[in-house]
Amino acid sequence: MTVIRAVTAGLALLLAAACTAPTAPRSETSPAAGTVCARPKGRLPAQTPTTIEVVEQAYFCILGNYYSGATMDARLLLTAGFIALTRELNLNGRDVSEATMPALTGDREADWTAFEAVYRKVADQVPDVRDKLAVVTLEAIVAGLDDNHARWVRDVGKAPPGYHDGDGYGLGLAASVNGPQVNGNPGAALPPLFVTTVEGGAAQAAGVRPGDIIESIDGSAPFIDGKPTPAIAALYPRYPEVDPVELQLLRQSTGRRWSVTLKPAVYERDLAALQGVTPKLLEDGIAYVRVRGFTPDAGDRVFKAISRLRTGRTLTGVVLDLRGNGGGRAPEAIRLVSAFVHGKVTAYLCTVDAKCEALRTDDTVELLNLPLAVLTDRSCASACEHFSSAVKDLGIGKLVGTRTAGAVSGPSEPFQLSNNTMLAFPTRHHLGPNRETLDRIGVPPDHYVPLTPKDAAAGRDPALAKALTLLHK
Amino acid sequence: MRLLLAAAAGLAVLAASACSAPAPPRSATRPSATPTGPAVLPAPTGDHPVGTTILYVNDTSRPDPWNLDVGARELKVTLWYPTERKEGERAPYMTPKESELFLRGSAIAGVPSDTLSKTRTNAIKDAEPAGEKLPLVVLSPGFTKPMSSLTALAEDLASRGYVVAGIDHTHESYVTTLSDGRIADCIACDSDTDPGFGARVVQGRAADVSFVLDQLPAKWDGSGLIDRSRIAMVGQSMGGASAMAAMLEDSRVRAGIDMDGSTYARIPKSGFSRPFMFIGSEQHVPGGGDASWDRDWKLLTGWKRWIAVTGTDHQAFTDIPLVGPSLGIEPVHGVLPAERGAEIARTYVAAFLDRHLKSQRQPILDKPSSRYPEAKLCPEDCGQS
Repeated sequence: MTVIRAVTAGLALLLAAACTAPTAPRSETSPAAGTVCARPKGRLPAQTPTTIEVVEQAYFCILGNYYSGATMDARLLLTAGFIALTRELNLNGRDVSEATMPALTGDREADWTAFEAVYRKVADQVPDVRDKLAVVTLEAIVAGLDDNHARWVRDVGKAPPGYHDGDGYGLGLAASVNGPQVNGNPGAALPPLFVTTVEGGAAQAAGVRPGDIIESIDGSAPFIDGKPTPAIAALYPRYPEVDPVELQLLRQSTGRRWSVTLKPAVYERDLAALQGVTPKLLEDGIAYVRVRGFTPDAGDRVFKAISRLRTGRTLTGVVLDLRGNGGGRAPEAIRLVSAFVHGKVTAYLCTVDAKCEALRTDDTVELLNLPLAVLTDRSCASACEHFSSAVKDLGIGKLVGTRTAGAVSGPSEPFQLSNNTMLAFPTRHHLGPNRETLDRIGVPPDHYVPLTPKDAAAGRDPALAKALTLLHK
Repeated sequence: MRLLLAAAAGLAVLAASACSAPAPPRSATRPSATPTGPAVLPAPTGDHPVGTTILYVNDTSRPDPWNLDVGARELKVTLWYPTERKEGERAPYMTPKESELFLRGSAIAGVPSDTLSKTRTNAIKDAEPAGEKLPLVVLSPGFTKPMSSLTALAEDLASRGYVVAGIDHTHESYVTTLSDGRIADCIACDSDTDPGFGARVVQGRAADVSFVLDQLPAKWDGSGLIDRSRIAMVGQSMGGASAMAAMLEDSRVRAGIDMDGSTYARIPKSGFSRPFMFIGSEQHVPGGGDASWDRDWKLLTGWKRWIAVTGTDHQAFTDIPLVGPSLGIEPVHGVLPAERGAEIARTYVAAFLDRHLKSQRQPILDKPSSRYPEAKLCPEDCGQS
């Protein structure tokens, strides 16, 4: 299953994209009747090249299965594909006189036929870039959905040399703008840009520290007039990107300004810090549990951790730290909600014609009967927002920190294409317990407590401090 | 790769994958064939009758890595060894409870839950060990599998004059019965989707191995028969990865075999020179889906072999295909018969150990064998997948 390898090998910073798209267990997904693409069964055979036939299959797969596939204007997809196609020709210095967008009528089949005819004419003239043309076209069609849970999953190559399970790849740091704020919702980013975590690698070797303000990246400002620039994405190179990145840094405590050149590489990470669920007993009987993702056993791991902290002592409250939690399986988010309330709806999944399924608490989960505070940030995405919105709407706890990512269009479901790659996208959209739209909006905290560079430098956690005062009341 | 191979084997082994990477469904594996009745493990091929016994050791110097409520690491060690006793009670393969929990964990339904406990073994329970200056082989099973899943290999090695110490790595198997009858479940299964999970497991297993080597002389009456200068380790899947990890940590382990396990331990850039053999399923070839063997191969500077066996899947070198018919599991199409897989595993593992612990020449490790055409010597003899 090369797709999985691509994801596992995909290292930390692929996570923003990869982790926000939960995959429904196959048993829960109905067979897509009368469609051109099937649910994957078992392991996928080796991937074969992407051809125009694969693009065609993807186009009709989307129209037949995607959330708004039945009602959307399919011309938008073909236009997005054609734009990418012509850009690729241009990039290769291989423009072709026949590469003119055909007139589209709104008839999906006829429009495809017209598109394919032009595509073939163009591709025949540039056989050496033919495969690449199909790839960029398909990528653009999927991107044309403008849906943060729609993606085309394929094996994009091997892990970097020397990569071991648990390693990171990149500069070895995370900054205040990361994950969904870079890729999904850039409007969420706020200045200043500063280092929040030094994980290892080049950043650690260069003496970069949390709280260091990043004034420029390869000579470009991260914000212009308060708006984030594409330069920020250069903080998170992915293999095989290997070009060094130059950062101009400011350490507020000393006033020192200097620049470092960091070369992307594989770096070792602290295994303890990679664990999905990490509990800690805080003062006055507060159970703190960090949940890094809604992995298949996340709910049970949290329950076991709390039960262990509770043995032989009285707990007074729970802090769930969901900062940086990129989501995962919705059933785990539901189970976690169910430890705090029963008999409620945690979310709705709705078709484009507003037929909604209510997702309900799992009332077999034992209630903890403890006050709850939840730490959120702009990287809490997907299932993490499902959980956070339920906490807020159902009144089972307080959210502290910053607004969630707003990357929760709907649960991503896999469809296999004929070249053994996969399309994944929602067939239904996600609404909160009050039937409100969360996607692109996120869940606002009850208490807005952003992290500042000074806090990061001093190792202070003002959001956690706020949560503790709330629980002590 | 672990996931891919596990899925191919039709047994639900959990995947170490990031976040929400598509996971194999955990639906029950429904037997597709009629169960055949109790399985019979193939007879050992060596000259000696085989005895077996169980030891428990308790490492109070470190907490259990998975059960945070336990301040020590308790391990069950199963020993197989040559004996002179030919008759006696055969050791049970598993207890009925172990069978039940292993089947449940593996999502195998539709057969009586005690089926595996009826599997017929060859070793005589608690027979007196015999021999002198016997080399020692540490054996480590795959993740979620009990030690008994490598019984056919263990019995064969013992019949050939090795003492085998198989370790049940507590809480890394669906079921381990501890000294007072307590059942340890697979707590590690909860976190197997964490990044770096494999690295954590092999780190812990390396410590398990060192502790067992420390304790064996005091804990087992027969340990005087062991030549402690001749120790090797063999493991399947996570156990194979652990063989590499244990050798890197403990110089007493002189040679190692990894049977189809993606590796996790970090070999120093300066390389690693003790003898090591990868023996994998047919897809486990250079440039194939698992990059970890390619990565490590370059750093192995001593005697090394990489063998890919055509017609095999991830479980081929374990007892799973041998007991499969008793569970109503049909062999995977295109895969070698279970007995043939077991024979190849026994032959090549023994050849490696005879070569490195007994200094015997072993031509099958040096050139393709007409008796075992399935075993391809990589990279020369095995194609890229």
